[in-house]
Amino acid sequence: MAAAARVLVVEDTPTQAELACALLREMGVEIRLAECGAAGLSIARHWAPDAILMDIDLPDFSGFEAMRRLRAEGIEAAVIVVTADASIRTAVEAMREGAVDFIAKPFAKARLTVTLRNALEKRALVTELREVRAQLTRDRFFGFIGASPAMQAVYRTIESVAASRANVFITGESGTGKELAADAVHRASPRAKRPFVALNCGAIPRDLLESEIFGHVKGAFTGATDTRLGAAKQADGGTLFLDEIGEMPLDMQVKLLRFTQTGTFQPVGGSSTQKVDVRIVSATNRDPWAEVEAGRFREDLYYRLYVVPLEMPPLRDRGADVLLVARHFLASFAKEEGKRFRGFAPEAEAALAGYGWPGNVRQLQNVVRNIVVLHDAERVERAMLPGMLLRGGGGRAAAPVAAEPQPPPEPAPAEPPPDTPAWTARLAWSPAAAEPAPAAPSPPAPFETLAAVEKRHILAALAETGQDVPRAATLLGINPSTIYRKLQAWKAEEGRAGSG
Amino acid sequence: MNAIDPDIPAQLAADLPRDDVVRILRTFEEDLGRLARELSAAAGAGEAEAYRRAAHSLAGAAAAVGAKRLEQAARIAMDRRDATEPRLLAARIAEEAAAALAELSRLADNLSGSG
Repeated sequence: MAAAARVLVVEDTPTQAELACALLREMGVEIRLAECGAAGLSIARHWAPDAILMDIDLPDFSGFEAMRRLRAEGIEAAVIVVTADASIRTAVEAMREGAVDFIAKPFAKARLTVTLRNALEKRALVTELREVRAQLTRDRFFGFIGASPAMQAVYRTIESVAASRANVFITGESGTGKELAADAVHRASPRAKRPFVALNCGAIPRDLLESEIFGHVKGAFTGATDTRLGAAKQADGGTLFLDEIGEMPLDMQVKLLRFTQTGTFQPVGGSSTQKVDVRIVSATNRDPWAEVEAGRFREDLYYRLYVVPLEMPPLRDRGADVLLVARHFLASFAKEEGKRFRGFAPEAEAALAGYGWPGNVRQLQNVVRNIVVLHDAERVERAMLPGMLLRGGGGRAAAPVAAEPQPPPEPAPAEPPPDTPAWTARLAWSPAAAEPAPAAPSPPAPFETLAAVEKRHILAALAETGQDVPRAATLLGINPSTIYRKLQAWKAEEGRAGSG
Repeated sequence: MNAIDPDIPAQLAADLPRDDVVRILRTFEEDLGRLARELSAAAGAGEAEAYRRAAHSLAGAAAAVGAKRLEQAARIAMDRRDATEPRLLAARIAEEAAAALAELSRLADNLSGSG
């Protein structure tokens, strides 16, 4: 029997109460005593006993009535009915009212011990069963939304690994939530109150990556005007998330390997070694072992980082999660944009469920935001969906892994709605038609209009982010809805130009 | 039949430290005095529910320490179908209580002084 088990004795006769408490003290449990039903209920509410020894004939109301009230309030202590009336009728009524057992007065220690142990074990099993059921059917987990078996497996892996300091390696297509998973590993871990530092290895120029991870001292290189802490130092005691680890240059991989082996590093330009306690979570949308075999990723570093693998399932493998996630985004964006949307029409839901979502959750997010910005109604109708969804089928299934670096997945369907003018549709739905990225801009005409500069700049940001409107908006420092409105306006302009 | 079934105090002594057993017996003594007074008062006043409740508590307390005859008498008083005059039953219960008390006092004294 658990030493810390809590037992409430509801008994109005002092001799009986003294006897029960003396026997329970011998069993090493915590005890509270109530001399009437009302006091028993009050203690049960505030103290949360594991078991209750319940007398039936109480001064204010019967023990059976007390049990009914306990049940009505959701108090789940194991109730053992204790009564001098050991008739079958009383026993049957006790069980009908939810007692786990029945014990007749006077009782010896051995009988009470067995009865109480059985009751506590039964209660523990019921609690465990409920927790397991809740875990198997939960539809939210940290930042995730999803109740599918594939996501339940993800949740279980994260919970299992969170308490350890083992490195975690997350794989999965773009848009499947790899950073969310890394964040969940951190937040579920004992490191949760320490920093979580995320670094996208693919977005940092290779010359700066070492400085970003390990920091630099003043004067270490041109432009190093101050000493700067790197991500490893900032994450001390917490978690360092290295996204797109497959993009890390081989020379940097050597330094990261040393860091994973020793926990020590030298800032760029520094002479002293620093030691930190960091858990590394890495992620890639490539097949890490294929990268090792291709010679692009060090095998020894692979073994250091690939301790606990966590594969994020693509949205197309998550069944009804598509609708769960879509409803969540709809409610969130409608609130943000001040729109009336409350749900999806059944035909719209069928289209969402039937699509393949090659850009995964990020693509679904963009589609829903696009709908919310461009429309306003009580529910999303099928006609409001992008054309690619309406044609059904599947959408391009993104390859789960690729031997070569892949461009970012399309955040929106790759084909325009059928009624959309060609060029604006491509701007809105396909990155292929986006205007040149900032790295290679078209030479602007002298004294280009401000509107033209704005349009070119927004399209460049969209191209840079793989048509990810929220990310482009972040780059530009504006609200995503601004971009959607601009796209809509340009589409209308095109329509007018086409008809004229 | 003795006022006290010796198996019950023996079981208490086997299950519990001596101090606990003594405390239970002393608590019973206090219960007995109070409940016997309540029972008599309720019988005299014709308060049936108070009479039955006092009898119920007496039966429970008596059972805990093995006061079998007292328990049996109290159970008769608890029984709503029993036609015995409450004043007569209260008097019988008072007699059984006195007998049980005398035996238990000796038992408690022996336990108190045996250590």
